[in-house]
Amino acid sequence: MKPLTLTYTILIGLLLSGIANMSYAQTDEYKMDGMTFGMPEAEVFTEDYDGPPVVGDHLSMLPNLEPLDYEGNKTHDVRIDIIAQEIEVADGVKYEAWTFGGTVPGPVLHVKEGDRITFTMKNRSDEEVTITQPTKEGSPFMQQVAQNNFMKAKEATMPMPHSMDFHAGTVAKNDKWRTIAPGESIKFDWVANYPGSYIYHCGTPSVLMHTAMGQHGVVVVSPKDGYDTGYEIDKEYVVVQSEYYLKKGSGELFQYDYEAAQNRNPSHVVFNGHQTILHDQPLKANAGDRVRLHFSNNGPSGTSSFHVIGAIFDRVWLEGHPFNEMRGMQTVLLGASSSATIDLIVPEEGKYILIDHEFADAEKGATGTLKAGPRKK
Amino acid sequence: MNILTNIAPVKIMLATLAAGIVLLPAMAGAQVLVPSGSFHSVMPEVKGEPVKVDSFYLDTTAVTNKKYNEFLQDHEDWQPQNIPSIFAHKGYLKSWKNANSDDIVNPDHPVTNVSWYAANTYCQSIGGRLPTLNEWEYSAQLMDFDSPSDAQEFASRLMSWYSTVDNENIGAVGSSGIENSHGIKDQFGLIMEWVEDFKPVIANDLSLDCGTVGRMQQLGNAYSYAASIRYITRMSFTPKSTNSTVGFRCAYDVEKITEKEASL
Ligand SMILES: [Cu+2]
Repeated sequence: MKPLTLTYTILIGLLLSGIANMSYAQTDEYKMDGMTFGMPEAEVFTEDYDGPPVVGDHLSMLPNLEPLDYEGNKTHDVRIDIIAQEIEVADGVKYEAWTFGGTVPGPVLHVKEGDRITFTMKNRSDEEVTITQPTKEGSPFMQQVAQNNFMKAKEATMPMPHSMDFHAGTVAKNDKWRTIAPGESIKFDWVANYPGSYIYHCGTPSVLMHTAMGQHGVVVVSPKDGYDTGYEIDKEYVVVQSEYYLKKGSGELFQYDYEAAQNRNPSHVVFNGHQTILHDQPLKANAGDRVRLHFSNNGPSGTSSFHVIGAIFDRVWLEGHPFNEMRGMQTVLLGASSSATIDLIVPEEGKYILIDHEFADAEKGATGTLKAGPRKK
Repeated sequence: MNILTNIAPVKIMLATLAAGIVLLPAMAGAQVLVPSGSFHSVMPEVKGEPVKVDSFYLDTTAVTNKKYNEFLQDHEDWQPQNIPSIFAHKGYLKSWKNANSDDIVNPDHPVTNVSWYAANTYCQSIGGRLPTLNEWEYSAQLMDFDSPSDAQEFASRLMSWYSTVDNENIGAVGSSGIENSHGIKDQFGLIMEWVEDFKPVIANDLSLDCGTVGRMQQLGNAYSYAASIRYITRMSFTPKSTNSTVGFRCAYDVEKITEKEASL
């Protein structure tokens, strides 16, 4: 090769890389209203990492919430890698999901108000990753998914640029929520300044497509002083509503339906990522229990009128913030990316149906079961 | 509805988008002249003005594993064990079992897992260059459809394809059943392809924001949506990126081909 041509190639290449690796002016860390702002600049790098895609404590598969077992605040080292995975979302409906950690929705992260999260994410969309063989370096999520592969997850690849947008984090998106190419990793810090339940999702355009393809999950930020109720909770669950826009592809698999997504006409509306998971594996409680639901509507585009048939929501904290308390609600109306923390008293032994009271969505799958045993107290 | 610039007799069978292996034509590896013209880009700076493109030659199919292997024989620097890390990520040619053997797996399949540097050097080594982004997109729009609804249907399938490229089962070049009105095959349906200026300077301003798709949707249809996915995906790559759905084909300046023919 002529040396001149090579020099030209390198120069253009460097120019093109340069555009990708702009640095961002950063604000130093500071406090306001007791909260922490100003995080160090995100780091984008390549690494040989090929271990478990979800690493860290307090990360669980839906509908579990890993209990917080520490006093005060702490820093969480969390890894959630991006992987493609073939999953089943309804009977016989399989598609190649773009995921955080391998399931839709991705793992639930539980932290405390004021905690700091050091987050690492590798874009492994070009790599076959098995999520059903947990190792010790993994997380409770990896164990749970290995024991209960309800979505029949199977390795897949679909190289695509992706990013992470934690609604629970207050940072500049052009730095922390940066899009990274397959094979690259990103690492950044954020502080859970506000208590509540917050969605996370991929923010790479088309954000509709990426979220609808499965890239979303929930962070539960427990208030540092808890909710002011004067009672203990017996059971605590996380329920996530979301929509799929799928149509039959040329083979066995289903594919993204662009028109349906644009027209907000989902093929499936589901709780916890699957049309029947919450019936086949109902939430459990007993008569007289106080059950707490962290309910999040992850969309991407639909609203949810969440209701539990046979119960009234005793207390509701909109977005899960302790100041936003409401009482005696029959239905909670939640737009896309809104959430509520809901306490209810289970009245008697029997079956209670969780439902999106927008019945068109309920009949596309947005239902589940809370199964109550006899009173034990 | 004005979806694509050209509406003429159907050359493609929509049903064969993801199926059917077509025999490799004798023409494989050949170039054809793409005559000058203009097209509507989805890039926001264009503001409804068509982008003018001069005529150029373009490979009818993507570069195959076999062709790339030939290149490696003469350019040892670009063999996987020799390539400097500044020119490619670790995944470079990772689908090749043994890059030094003559026994190339899937010789007629498009080469993938090649960085932009490698693609660029390959094309230069044969007297060509990578097509510019505008050349590639212009050629891709020179599709013939019977009706706007056929075009719409095609674009909608394209969107599905971009969500689920089956990179485990990429067929031989020429097998997608899709070609433009000049006989350029597989710009869709097989792999995605490197272009010379894959990250245009304006990408900086677009910065992969949520609104990017909206700004790219001036045509407001599935075709421009699919195109916007391509632009956005390219923008996130670095010249070292190697992945299993990205390959390339080469373009040639008209003068160079004319010179070559004159010298024969
Ligand atoms: Cu994404």
